[in-house]
Amino acid sequence: MAEKILEVKDLVVEFKTDRGTIKAVNGVNFDVFKGKTVGIVGESGSGKSVSALAIMGLIPSPPGRVASGQILFNGKSLVNMEPSEMRKIRGNKIAMIFQEPMTSLNPVFTIGNQIEEVIELHQPQLSKKERTAKAVDMLRLVGIPSPESRVNEYPHQLSGGMRQRVMIAIALSCEPDILIADEPTTALDVTIQAQILELMKKLQKELGMGIILITHDLGVVAETCDSVAVMYCGQIVEAADVKTLFNHPRHPYTKGLMNSIPSFDSTSGRKKERLQTIEGMVPSLFDLPKGCNFQDRCSKVTEQCRGSHGEPTLRDLDSGHLAACFNPLN
Amino acid sequence: MNLYSYIFRRLLYVVPVLLGVCLIIFVIFNVVAPDPAFILLGRHATIEQIATLHRELGMDRPFIVQYIDIVKSAFTFDFGYSWSSKQQIWEMIKAGAGPSLTITLPLFILSNVLSISIALLVAFYRGKLIDKVVLLVSIAMMSIPSLAYILFGQWFFAAYLGWFEIAGYEPGFPNFIPYTLLPVLLYVAISWGPETRFYRSVILDEVYQDYVRTARAKGVSELSVMFKHVLKNAMIPILTQIILQIPFLILGLLLAESFFSIPGLGGIIIKAINTSDFPVIKAMTILSAIGFILFGVITDVLYTVVDPRMRLK
Amino acid sequence: MTTATSETLTLNKSETKKAPKSLWRHAFHTIVSDKLACVSLVIVAVYFLVAILTFLGVLAADWNVEVGSAYAAPSMDNIFGTDFLGRSVFLKTIKGTETAVAIGLATAAIALIIGTTLGAVAGYFGGIVDEVIVWFYTTFSAIPFIMLLVSIAFIMGKGTSTVFISLGITSWVGLCRVVRGEVMKHKDREYTHAATAIGAGHTRKIFKHILPNISHVLIINFSLTFESAIKAEVILSYLGLGVQGRPSWGTMIDDSKLELARGVWWQLGAATFAMFVIVLAFNILGDALRDALDPKLKGK
Repeated sequence: MAEKILEVKDLVVEFKTDRGTIKAVNGVNFDVFKGKTVGIVGESGSGKSVSALAIMGLIPSPPGRVASGQILFNGKSLVNMEPSEMRKIRGNKIAMIFQEPMTSLNPVFTIGNQIEEVIELHQPQLSKKERTAKAVDMLRLVGIPSPESRVNEYPHQLSGGMRQRVMIAIALSCEPDILIADEPTTALDVTIQAQILELMKKLQKELGMGIILITHDLGVVAETCDSVAVMYCGQIVEAADVKTLFNHPRHPYTKGLMNSIPSFDSTSGRKKERLQTIEGMVPSLFDLPKGCNFQDRCSKVTEQCRGSHGEPTLRDLDSGHLAACFNPLN
Repeated sequence: MNLYSYIFRRLLYVVPVLLGVCLIIFVIFNVVAPDPAFILLGRHATIEQIATLHRELGMDRPFIVQYIDIVKSAFTFDFGYSWSSKQQIWEMIKAGAGPSLTITLPLFILSNVLSISIALLVAFYRGKLIDKVVLLVSIAMMSIPSLAYILFGQWFFAAYLGWFEIAGYEPGFPNFIPYTLLPVLLYVAISWGPETRFYRSVILDEVYQDYVRTARAKGVSELSVMFKHVLKNAMIPILTQIILQIPFLILGLLLAESFFSIPGLGGIIIKAINTSDFPVIKAMTILSAIGFILFGVITDVLYTVVDPRMRLK
Repeated sequence: MTTATSETLTLNKSETKKAPKSLWRHAFHTIVSDKLACVSLVIVAVYFLVAILTFLGVLAADWNVEVGSAYAAPSMDNIFGTDFLGRSVFLKTIKGTETAVAIGLATAAIALIIGTTLGAVAGYFGGIVDEVIVWFYTTFSAIPFIMLLVSIAFIMGKGTSTVFISLGITSWVGLCRVVRGEVMKHKDREYTHAATAIGAGHTRKIFKHILPNISHVLIINFSLTFESAIKAEVILSYLGLGVQGRPSWGTMIDDSKLELARGVWWQLGAATFAMFVIVLAFNILGDALRDALDPKLKGK
C-alpha cells in the first residue's frame, strides 16, 4: 500500500448567506496516497471544489469557513494553521490548477515571471538566473515548444491548452507532494483535454505526487483515477476504487450518472443504449429534505429514505466499496 | 503597426472631433445666442451703432467664415480680446493658469493619493465593517452639493473659527499657501467620495479575478497579492482616471476660485458668465475641450504601453 | 481517452439547475432583502409624494407668506427659521422638493429620449449612421460637462425651462454609449432574427423587441441622471441661471452665501439636508439596482 499523504476527516465547510448558513461540504472523508490519483465527481454545487479550496486554505472568508473536521497533511493539521505557515505549503507542497486557463494567469505579467514567482517564494536560495533557467525547464517539461522565447510572452499570446500547461508548470515548479486539479480540462477542446490528462499522468509518474482530480466528467475519471468519490449535496455518496465503481456502482445516483454518459461499443462503433437522464432537480442547500438528499430523484426510494431512519451514512458494502444508501443496488 | 503610427492615427481622429467641438461652440454662440449688441450697447442703441458693432465683431460675415475663425483660434490660440476687460484673452489665460495650478495641483496629488490608498485598504478588508462604513461615508459625502461644502467651509473654518484666510491671494511660493490651503482641503473632501468609490470598485473588480486565486494558490501573501498582482492590473483604469483629470487642473476650480478670490481661470470663467463675455467663454470652452481630447489620446497611448493585451500587433 | 468525455453530464446538469428566476423578480428580491435599499426606496417615494402634494397645492401653498421677522432663527413656530423676507424656510424647502423632483424627472426624461434614440439607432443600423452618431457624442463629451452646461444655460437665459433643457441635453452621452453597445449585442441575438422572420420592421424590432431587453440599463441610468441633475441645479443657481419665481434648493443654497456672514445658517442647512437625503437615497438605490439588474456583476 502506498504512503498516505493527505487525510480529510469529517470536513464541514459552511457559508453564511443572506438566507442563512449552508453547509457546502458536510462531513466529507477521503485520503490521498503518494503517486495515486483520487477523483472527486459531482455536479456543480456538489461541494467538490469547496473541498479542494478547504485543503488549500483558500475558502473565501467571510462568508465561508471550515466549521469542523480535520485535514491532515503528512500528519499535520492544515485547518486553523497559521497563515504564514500555510503559505509555505501552498504552491510548494500542495499545488492547485484551476478550470479556467484563460483567466487564471495574471494578464500583465509574463509567463516566465509567473513561474519564477512561485520558485522565488519557496526556493529563495536560487539566484535570479537559476530561477529563469528553471522556469524554462518547467515549460519544456510541460511540453511547450521553444520555451526559451515563450518564457517572455504574456498569457494572451498563448492558446487555452498552452495556458493550462503553463498553469501545470507553475503548480509543479516546486515538486509538490499533492496536485489538486479542479476541472483542469473542462474549458478545453476534446483533443487538448486528452493531451493535458496524458501530461498530468506522465508527470505524476516522474514526480510521484498524489493527485486530487475534481471533475464532473466520469470519462476523465475512468481514464486517470485510481479511486473515486462521488459527491452529492456536499456529501460523499459513494467511494471505491475506479474499476469497482465503474463495473458495479451501488448508489442509484452513481448509476444515474453513468447512464447519462453516451457510450459506444468499441467493436461495432454503435451506440449501445439510449441515454438516460436523472429525473428531477438537485435540492437547494437551503432546504435539504429530511433523510436522503437523493430521495426525490431516486427510483428505489422507500419510506426509510424519507427520514424515518435519519440520513443514510457512508458504510462499507464490500471490502472498501462505500455507499451512503439504504437500498444499495446489487 | 508600431507605436508611432498608432499615435499618428489616433491624432488623426482628433481632427474631426476638434472640428465638431468648434461646430458646437459656433452653433451655440454665433447662431443661437442672442445678439451681443443688446448686451454690449444696452437697450437704447441705434441701428447704426448696432451695425457698427456687428462689423467690428465680424458678425456681418457669412457663417462659414465665422466658423473658420473659431477653428483657426483652436490652432493659433488667438482668441481675440475680452469684451469686458479689453485684454487679450490668451494673456489672461496665461496669467490665470498659475494661480489655478497652485490649488489644483496639490489637490490633484492629495486627493488621488488619499483615495487610492483608502480604496486599497478597504478592498483588502472587503465585506468587513470598515469597508461598509467607508463606502457609506463616501456615498454620503458625494450626496452633498459642492457649493454647500464651500459655503459652509469658508464660513465655519475661516470666518467663524479663524483657522484660515477667508479670501485673497498672494503670488509666489510659499506666499499663496495660507490662501490656497482651505480651498484645497475642501475640494479634497468634495472629491474624496466619488474617487474612493470609483477606485474601490476598480480594485474590487480585480480582486475577484481568477488570477488572484492562482496567486494565492502559489503561496503569495495577501499583501503581495494586493500590491503586486491586483494593483498592477487595476493601474490601467486608475491611470485613465488620473490622466483625464489633468485638463481640469488647468481649467481651475469654477466655484472655489471666485469664493476665495483667487485670480485663476475658474474665476475668469465665472466673471465672463456674469458679464456675458462671449469670447472668453468660447476660448475657455475650446481650450478645455482641446485639453480633454489630447489627454484622451495620451491615455489611449499609455494603455498600449501598460497593458500587454493592448500591445500593437 | 474514450469518446465519452465531452458530453458527460451536460444533459442532467442543465436539467437539474433551478428554474431561472426572471431578472426582474431576482432584482425585486435582492432589493427587498437589502434593508438600506428598502429604506432608500421609501425615502424616494416620500419625496415624490411631497412633490405631488405640493404641485397640487395641498402642501406649502403659502410658502410666499410672511410668517415672522426677517432672519428669525429656528424656533417652535418656524422649525427651520425664516429667510430675508420673513418667509418660512421649512415651507420653502418643501416647495423646493417639487422643483427638485421636476428638474430630476425632466432632465432624466430628456436625456433618456436623446440617449436611447441615438444609441439605439447607432447600434442597430451601424455603418455610416453609427459613425456619425459616435462622432457626435465623442465631440459632445469632449467639452467638459460644466462648460457645456454653462454655455447652453447662458445663451438660453434665466428660467426654469433653461434648467430643464440645459441639464437634459448635457446628460445623455453616457446612456447613449451604453445603449449603443447593448443594441449591437442584441441585434444579432436569435430573438431579433425571429422577429425579422415574422416580418417586423426596424422600428418595431428596436422598440418592441430590443429595448425591453435592455430596460435595466435605462432604469439605472435614469436614477443616476435624476440625482446628478438635482446636484447640478445648485451650480446653475449660483451662476444666476437657476429656477426663477419659486424656491429651489439651489437658489436657497446660493442665497445663503450672503446670509452666513450674519450667522444665518438655517437656509443653507435645510436645503442641503433636503438635497442630501434624496441624493443619498438615489445613490444607494442606484447601486442596489445595478447590483440586482446588471447580469455582468451578478454572483459576485
